[in-house]
Amino acid sequence: MMHDFFNPNLLLGWIPLLEPAGALGTIWWLLMIPLVFGISIAYRATHEESLDRFWFRVVAFTVKSTLAMGSLAVLLYLFVYWIIPILRVG
Amino acid sequence: MPDDTDHLDRPLNWTAAVLGWICPGFGQIVLGHRRRGLLAMFGILGLFFGGLLIGGVDCVDRREDPLWFYAQAAAGPVAFAADWANSGLLKSGRVGELVQSPPARPGTQPPLVSTFKSVTVASEIGTLYCFLAGLMNLVVILDALKRPPHSPEHSTGGSKR
Repeated sequence: MMHDFFNPNLLLGWIPLLEPAGALGTIWWLLMIPLVFGISIAYRATHEESLDRFWFRVVAFTVKSTLAMGSLAVLLYLFVYWIIPILRVG
Repeated sequence: MPDDTDHLDRPLNWTAAVLGWICPGFGQIVLGHRRRGLLAMFGILGLFFGGLLIGGVDCVDRREDPLWFYAQAAAGPVAFAADWANSGLLKSGRVGELVQSPPARPGTQPPLVSTFKSVTVASEIGTLYCFLAGLMNLVVILDALKRPPHSPEHSTGGSKR
């Protein structure tokens, strides 16, 4: 069951940089979080007047962006699976 | 009294911008904003090498995915190095094997592809990571182009630069 989400056995034969990470399974969408974190670091490094509390602002930016994208995903899910079927019946 | 449009009159730091393309964040470092440059470098190179780890060097492909590559190339020579590794190792068959894949159109020659070619969702995510690393480096390069050099009298301390 766990292998549906993440299969560690697939990491055994993995050659980093040459092969894609095939062990991701269905958790690939979690990679959005480090992606947003990296973008936040580069963005905040250039857009902050002062670098005081830099990491706090990076984490806050990451959390806000991730929640915003997650909310959009939930709205899209509701639209596709709830709103569209209602429109078809009507 | 400083004018809001003062920054428009500043000369552009072309040297810093070029150095920022060669090594992400280096433009800010040569302008004296060492910590800012190192943080930008950490973010951009972290994204780029994260993408290569997730999807392999096949994520950067100048010939097959030129539109993605235009943005990835903004991350600097690392993008060209990844493309060179993809061509020299995977596409040449030096690593893995070359196998025939179905032809794109009936009647055309079936192309040879590496057994290491990335065709899973990991490939798409890796490509996206490298793509966004390039776009963010463009932001960092534009910042280096307009950022005034660091002056010690306006500094609030060495670690805050």
